[in-house]
Amino acid sequence: MPLDVAAIRQEFPIFERKINGKRLVFLDSAASSQKPRAVIGAMMHTYMHSYANVHRGLYSLAEEATAAYEDARAKIARFINAPDPAEIINVRNATEGLNLVAYSWGETHIRAGDRIVITELEHHANLVPWQQLAHRKGAELAYIPVNDAGELELDALPPLLADGRTKVVACSLMSNVLGALPPARQVAEMAHAAGALVVMDGAQAVPHQPVDVQALGADFLAFSGHKMCGPGVGILWGRYELLEAMPPFLYGGDMIRTVKRDYAKWNDVPYKFEAGTPAIAEVIGLGAAVDFLNAIGMEAVHAHEQEIVAYALARLAELPTVHVLGYGNGEPRAPQERSGVIAFSMEGIHPHDVAAILDTEGVCVRAGHHCAQPLHERFGVPASTRASFYIYNDRDDVDVLVGALDKVVKTLKR
Amino acid sequence: MSSDLYREQLLDHYHNPDNFGVLENADVDIEMDNPTCGDMIHLTARLDNAGRVSEVMFEGQGCVISMASASMFTEHVKGKTIAEITAMGLSDIEEMMGGVKLSMGRVKCALLPLNAMKQGLKESKGAV
Repeated sequence: MPLDVAAIRQEFPIFERKINGKRLVFLDSAASSQKPRAVIGAMMHTYMHSYANVHRGLYSLAEEATAAYEDARAKIARFINAPDPAEIINVRNATEGLNLVAYSWGETHIRAGDRIVITELEHHANLVPWQQLAHRKGAELAYIPVNDAGELELDALPPLLADGRTKVVACSLMSNVLGALPPARQVAEMAHAAGALVVMDGAQAVPHQPVDVQALGADFLAFSGHKMCGPGVGILWGRYELLEAMPPFLYGGDMIRTVKRDYAKWNDVPYKFEAGTPAIAEVIGLGAAVDFLNAIGMEAVHAHEQEIVAYALARLAELPTVHVLGYGNGEPRAPQERSGVIAFSMEGIHPHDVAAILDTEGVCVRAGHHCAQPLHERFGVPASTRASFYIYNDRDDVDVLVGALDKVVKTLKR
Repeated sequence: MSSDLYREQLLDHYHNPDNFGVLENADVDIEMDNPTCGDMIHLTARLDNAGRVSEVMFEGQGCVISMASASMFTEHVKGKTIAEITAMGLSDIEEMMGGVKLSMGRVKCALLPLNAMKQGLKESKGAV
């Protein structure tokens, strides 16, 4: 069933405002999404009625706050089909989650001469932690290449797995630049057969499609609440036995069982990885975001975005100076290979100028390298303009975008 | 702000930049980029015996703001001393560009030529 976008927009107070006198056309959800009333309300309710620190107080308010916090953890676990809520670690953002794995698991398991495999389409968050771990350990960092059509060259993986030196493969579930959906399940099968772990970056995928960590065969999955209608909090999911064997990443309160003057014992998973007071209201807000998305249905969200992307690609093809990244020689890809992100360049026009002129039409897009510099290098452009779609976008938004791009050309051409 | 930003004067400089090219045997010869936006400038300049900038040329690629700023900058700094250039800041560049008010995101585009010149002068000090 198609989404009722008008009704969904009603749930997001921000769409009541104007930008430069125009209707807000928000096409930057891949950077961070807008927030529905349900999420804002859940956080406000926490602060106004049931706020106290968690896991500490023996009074009823603290117990209420703890129950709400842990209830959100359970909702988040079900959302990605994690077998156990204890496998959900609340962190600051997906970046922190990936760093946690690279430091905690990486420091103890990666040795000189080992190999870490990532892909060319990774966001810097799933690239730099591995690059730096490789530097620290004298390990090798290898890339699975991306072809002109934005697909992973999977043939490159078996040779990298053949000598048994590869200990971990890190792979995004969805490119934040191309919208491409790498075959992560296949990557996981191949990596596991060679004894390597698989770390998946779900920052783009989890907000936009059903993600099932068990079906994917992931060992770790990181994602961000703020990209999925929630507040600024991130999640790291990991298989329980892996988390249990890992040392803490940060030390302090709440992660501790016993502290003596010269040694300490750690709390159980997940608390071992949640040092200090967590973002309590934010986690509760993310629980509300999960409820909100579940009510729409993640299959429906995914289908909606593929429909918008297909429409946007067709409309952008009308503009001869617009070149979409990662679509080979312009062949439209099968929709199941793409999700709601399109990055493009415009002949002779810098992305900054595109974004600034679109802003005058109320259209919010991202301009730059979108934290994926090696991928832009791969496609031979220093930067691009990116339009990304979510549940509150529709064909009208695409039409406004295309009209505004026409204005860009008219403003800047000679 | 943006329609104002893309005023004719700036677009003229963007499309037909002044002093576009490279000076051979220049006293200042520097490349600088804004890696986050992909703006790049190659700035070359000569100083006269009194230590004033006598000739400036640039080449590069980038947005309207960075390229128009560079074009206007090559004329603006002619006759200025190193000390005068070193003392220049954002307000001087905004004034040079006809009094535009730059948003936070565009400041570093507009400042690219000035920053390149300052860095180039610093690097060439021993040589001049």
